[in-house]
Amino acid sequence: MIRTIALKDLREIIRDGRMLWAAALIILLSIVALASGSIRQSQINHERAAGQALDYQAWLQQGERHPHDAAEQGMHVFKPEPPLAVLDPGIEPFVGSTVWLQAHRQSELKFRPAQDATGLQRFGQLSPAWIVQVLVPLLIIVIGFGAISGERERGTLRQLLSIGVPARQLLLGKALALAACACALVIPVWLVFSVVATISLPSAERLDVVYRMLWLIAGYGLYLGFFVFLTIAVSAMVRSSRAAVVLLLGFWVAATLIAPRTASEIANVIDPTPSRLDFNNHLSHDISEAAGEAWKSSFGVKEQWDPSLPLSKWGAALKVDDHAGYGVLDQTFGKLWDTFERQQRFQQWIGLVAPVITLRGFSMGLAGTDFAQHRDFSTAAELQRRKIQEIVSDDLVAHADTLGNAHFSYKAGSKLWATVPEFKYQLPTIGFAARRYWPDLLLLAAMFAAAATLASIAVSRSLKRMA
Amino acid sequence: MSQMKHTSTFQLIFRHELTILTRDRTLPIVAILLAAMVLGGLFVGITQAKQRSAMIAEVIEHSAKRQAANEKTLQSVLDGKQALVPFGNPANPAALAGGLAGRHTTLPNLPLAALAIGQSDMVPNYYRISYLSKVQFMYDTEIENPWNLLSGHFDLSFVITFVLPLLVIGLSFNMLSAEREQGTLRMLFAQPMALTTLIAAKASARYLVFLAVILPLPPLVLLSLFPETRSMDSLLFMALWALVVAGYTLFWFALAALVNAFGRASSSNALILISGWTFLVLILPIVMNLVVGAISPAPSRTELASRTRVVTADALREYEDMYSTDYRYASDPETLAVKDGRIEVPPRMRAFFLAKQRVDAQVEPLLNQFDHQLLEQQKLVDLIGFLSPAILVNEALNLVAGNDSRRFVAFKNQTEAFHNGWRAFFAPKIATDRATTRAEMTALPVWQRQETATTTTAWRIASRAALLLLVSFIIAIFAMRRLRHGQIV
Repeated sequence: MIRTIALKDLREIIRDGRMLWAAALIILLSIVALASGSIRQSQINHERAAGQALDYQAWLQQGERHPHDAAEQGMHVFKPEPPLAVLDPGIEPFVGSTVWLQAHRQSELKFRPAQDATGLQRFGQLSPAWIVQVLVPLLIIVIGFGAISGERERGTLRQLLSIGVPARQLLLGKALALAACACALVIPVWLVFSVVATISLPSAERLDVVYRMLWLIAGYGLYLGFFVFLTIAVSAMVRSSRAAVVLLLGFWVAATLIAPRTASEIANVIDPTPSRLDFNNHLSHDISEAAGEAWKSSFGVKEQWDPSLPLSKWGAALKVDDHAGYGVLDQTFGKLWDTFERQQRFQQWIGLVAPVITLRGFSMGLAGTDFAQHRDFSTAAELQRRKIQEIVSDDLVAHADTLGNAHFSYKAGSKLWATVPEFKYQLPTIGFAARRYWPDLLLLAAMFAAAATLASIAVSRSLKRMA
Repeated sequence: MSQMKHTSTFQLIFRHELTILTRDRTLPIVAILLAAMVLGGLFVGITQAKQRSAMIAEVIEHSAKRQAANEKTLQSVLDGKQALVPFGNPANPAALAGGLAGRHTTLPNLPLAALAIGQSDMVPNYYRISYLSKVQFMYDTEIENPWNLLSGHFDLSFVITFVLPLLVIGLSFNMLSAEREQGTLRMLFAQPMALTTLIAAKASARYLVFLAVILPLPPLVLLSLFPETRSMDSLLFMALWALVVAGYTLFWFALAALVNAFGRASSSNALILISGWTFLVLILPIVMNLVVGAISPAPSRTELASRTRVVTADALREYEDMYSTDYRYASDPETLAVKDGRIEVPPRMRAFFLAKQRVDAQVEPLLNQFDHQLLEQQKLVDLIGFLSPAILVNEALNLVAGNDSRRFVAFKNQTEAFHNGWRAFFAPKIATDRATTRAEMTALPVWQRQETATTTTAWRIASRAALLLLVSFIIAIFAMRRLRHGQIV
């Protein structure tokens, strides 16, 4: 019976040519998004890997030089884009990808792609994830708003009742038809992409991508399922198809368009982000305070870079100064990044009324394009910088400080440079994302279950009302 | 039908429509919803604008304090009172040009900044100037949670671009179809009245209510709260803003009228209009973003990074000897004293200065390419903007608020010029070991900004408003023709 109902509905949907047009548009957009994303990604990753290797080679071959000057040249490291960033670029357009590891201060990742784009970027980025998050639910609503109300208006619901169709079967049949439409839009394109992406990866990373895809499918499945059941529930509850479409579209607009913006405004009010100026002032103040204390206790001088400190202590001073800064840097950046993560977590809960927010976080988390993974890279890059600093300072203490005022005439060679290891960043594995995002998957499952229950109650009530 | 009669029929329907929509509470609900969102969006915009103004004030104060401190230190150095610190001695031009500078370039808000946040949450409105290389300070960005940047703000520009058309659609998708579905259309035909008059009156009634809510609210709030918005220029921009909003609203009413003119069922109309909205407001701008990036791609940032590193390494090599010179000041602090207007700039500090200067000279062409490309992209957006009224209106609103890409690029260019000037001011002094004099201390280069001419911006906004109005009229004419010749009942 379920199959019969589903097939009948599907036939009707296919006969209505407009749906085919909409479906074609969505599939076309997905293909464009995937193709352009893949091309861009392979280009970027290739370029970044080459750039990083070049910088490291230059570091190794920089010739004789004072180690502190070598740290001035430093090296660039680049954030690799995870393979699934093509599906969901997440926050990538709004974060930098490049760090110049140099002496003195932790620097942030620079060059946000959005800075090189016009204001149009703020309308959003065309990605398969955006299409499924925003456009597919709309299509589900448009196809399904008349699922029950339409039957009632045409009088066919009474007929169904007379031949004894149980409410449950009616609901499942209707849901199956809608779900089939949604799947037809999403699955073929995503499947082709995953197969191509998996094959083109080195075998060690393949399994990770497969796991990620499975999680993503679960998340998106629950999300679209939520819309399927919600649509049927509303269609069964309200008096007319017109009321159903107005209500559903209203919900779609509020939940997918207005809620994400409102949520981030609220999060910003509750837990504000500091301004760049405040942040920098705090950082400078705390660093100089910590450094001042460290200088005092280590060298008995009044302030940082006190002129009374002989140059024969310069290497040692550099080390003390750096170490004093590390704690402050960790704390200050940690606090800022915690704020970002808290803001996001808070918004994930608003997903209880607007599931797109939960799904968005979940999706970018599993694709590896969320803030947590950006932070992971930033931390790894900073550790590499400290490694360089440590090697440089130790060498200065051993060799340059012994030269007294001629401290800066000391030159180290390729042997020292080679002690700095190449920066090899390993993208976090699925475990990293799964640990963070399983509650979101539960939340999506709960929303799905709620919608299914609502639909089930609504359909059986509407049948009872008929009888 | 005489002209007199025509007008009175129009007025009759117009008034009748207002009464009905008020009685069934549709109009009050939509009006309240719209007003609430407009005020909410405006509130967000005002908060953001205030924050940015506060930042600028803080930066200017910081600069002034720094200047005063430098003057004081210089005084005591010249008087021989101050113990000499190599990095903290403003008499040393290399120190004054670098760490001690405390100079900032600033981009103040335009008076109407609250009307659209635009690019202002992403691009900095001040830069800290020293002799450091451009690569080191030009890419600082304002701190904002990337998640929030991705979501975007709930500002007035969002309410107008995205939500307003939906309310228009909600109120007008069944202007004609409802009459037919209720069976009242036939009765109306019994009256001596053209269908075009009916729909024109119905649409006008709704349109005017919309305008009555949205047009006066933001200007009134801004005018009463912020005196700086009462200038002639601001009033002109407010008028242009109103024109843009009126044009955009008209576009959606005209579209609704056209869809109604085809005589389909109400639910059909709703779906067609929602599809149109999805296409024009959601899909087209996003696809255009992709197209603009594809046609006019930004140069590679990775290449810029590599190039910067190569140039830095070259500069280090070039000034190798100076970098390696000993720091005599440690054992012989008197070397830092000013004698006959001269001061010994430690060679290592001079090397830093020269190295940065050299890096910029070589990287600058590459940096300019980025700005050039961004402007090219902007030109493309101007060109293809007419494909979607949402792009047009968004650009126009950002222009009114002064938070458009162009203004930020101009600010960046002027900052670069100032930075060059700053360095050029110090270069000869550092090269010839000339100590900073008291007179020079008070005559350091001062940041001055050139705002884009009001007429240029006004013209850009007005042309967009005109385009919106033109397109709306064309659609309206189509709708009227269709109503005159089509079979509706």
